[in-house]
Amino acid sequence: MPDTTTDDAALTAEFDALAGRAGLSIPDDRKAALLQGYKDLKRMTALMRQPRTAADEPAAAYSILSVTRSI
Amino acid sequence: MAKALHDYSIAEAGKMLRSGATTSMALTEHALERTKTIDPLIDSFVLLTRERALAEAAAADAAFANGIDKGPMQGIPHALKDIYGTAGIRTTCHSKLLIDNVPTEDSVVAAKFKAQGAVMLGKLATHEFAIGGPSFDLPFPPARNPWNPAHAPGGSSSGSGAAVAAGLVRMAMGSDTGGSIRGPAGYCGTVGLKPTYGLVSRRGVFPLSYTLDHCGPLSWTVEDSAIAMEVIAGFDPHDPASADVPIPDFRAKLGRSVQGLRLGLPRHWFIKADGASAETLRAIDDAAGTLAKLGAIIEEIELPDYELYNACGRVILLSEAYAIHEKDLQTRPLDYGLYTYLRMGTGAFTSAADLTQAMRLRRELALALNAKLKACDALITASTLTPAPAFADHDPKSPPNFPVQLMPFDVTGNPAMSIPTGFSANGLPLSMQIVGRAFDEPTVLGIGAAFEAATNLHVRRPAFDVARAA
Repeated sequence: MPDTTTDDAALTAEFDALAGRAGLSIPDDRKAALLQGYKDLKRMTALMRQPRTAADEPAAAYSILSVTRSI
Repeated sequence: MAKALHDYSIAEAGKMLRSGATTSMALTEHALERTKTIDPLIDSFVLLTRERALAEAAAADAAFANGIDKGPMQGIPHALKDIYGTAGIRTTCHSKLLIDNVPTEDSVVAAKFKAQGAVMLGKLATHEFAIGGPSFDLPFPPARNPWNPAHAPGGSSSGSGAAVAAGLVRMAMGSDTGGSIRGPAGYCGTVGLKPTYGLVSRRGVFPLSYTLDHCGPLSWTVEDSAIAMEVIAGFDPHDPASADVPIPDFRAKLGRSVQGLRLGLPRHWFIKADGASAETLRAIDDAAGTLAKLGAIIEEIELPDYELYNACGRVILLSEAYAIHEKDLQTRPLDYGLYTYLRMGTGAFTSAADLTQAMRLRRELALALNAKLKACDALITASTLTPAPAFADHDPKSPPNFPVQLMPFDVTGNPAMSIPTGFSANGLPLSMQIVGRAFDEPTVLGIGAAFEAATNLHVRRPAFDVARAA
């Protein structure tokens, strides 16, 4: 049986470290719910880690045309 | 028997204005009076711009009298979600953070309606910054569902859905980043069109997520959404996402048969979705049957897993929203409503690699959807998965996850329209989506209009206990 106490403690430590790095001072009464949101985020980011081809690249997120046309 | 004035669509009211059967002043005064009576029950408006509306109505009537016709919205009352910047008029995003914000310039959409002589009735409730709600810890109360005010109207364009369903305005502008036009449309029984990404300028609208934000209309009829699109669509070189493409005739396919159209149905997305109600699923199958009777060819199709689209969109949305609000979330967290803080704060935990993976996945998912749309003329699929949830069912300590399947088309950017499919046993609207090829809004609207004409669901309006509004 996995040691969920240790897992939860590790996750909370990770959460606290990342919140500190982001400069967030999380109000105490909001921490538990935000931690739950972090757990859900980890599920989603894990889901996205699948093999991709080189064609799946995000260069289209930047368009030089959209810059030059506005000048 | 003549209909009540608010039951005339934009198209119908437009004809009446041009024939002299009514005036913009009559439409506007009726809308203001109806809003005064009914809005206390549903809290759809955060600001009523009465004096401006009456002045714009007078100007529209004068224009008609002088033979000036600027287009189909001239003289028509409408309203804007309170994230659309309006020059000289408070634009709060339903937030304490912007409670005194009075823009000096109109958003492009607001300017287009103004230039056409439309009548702006006011600014509409939203989930805070188009993400946090429905909340009771904000400067304004949350909008309520006109079909049953104990239930939420969905969000984030909550006031837009409520105001249109209540017949306060025929059309209201919303915004859609993860489903915020189509969700309220579905829960409130209106039409809600998320146009193709880049077709409508977002300039001057407070951003939630740069690469996912879309502006679009909610309306009582499909034709009225087409009319709104005629006004607001167009290239804007100052919106980095704006698409320099020919603008289609949005009314071109209204009234046409759907005979022979191939409609893909990704049934595997919603048939076993968590929380989907049997009534909703049955209504989608019935709607597919109706379209088949009208001559469309319904084909079940397979798409990548719905959860991939959802995860991709949420990671991008949370990352971009956090970037926009980073400083305020760090320095004044308690000025945000609880739900807003909890949603946006999650964006602090996405890494650069997470966002890059999401953007890579986004391309893959968009290619998969659009490959299917080469063989199909459009898709039909779920919108809201249940009737509107009750406020009492929300956990006050954690933001609700509305059971909807709307994110995929924000991720891909394809046009998607929510349209009513019927009512639940307790009288709340049910809905589905019609999804089209990029920049093919006319086909989406045409299918919607054919379904609307076959079902006539729009003749049913919410009933109000107006005595309670006094």
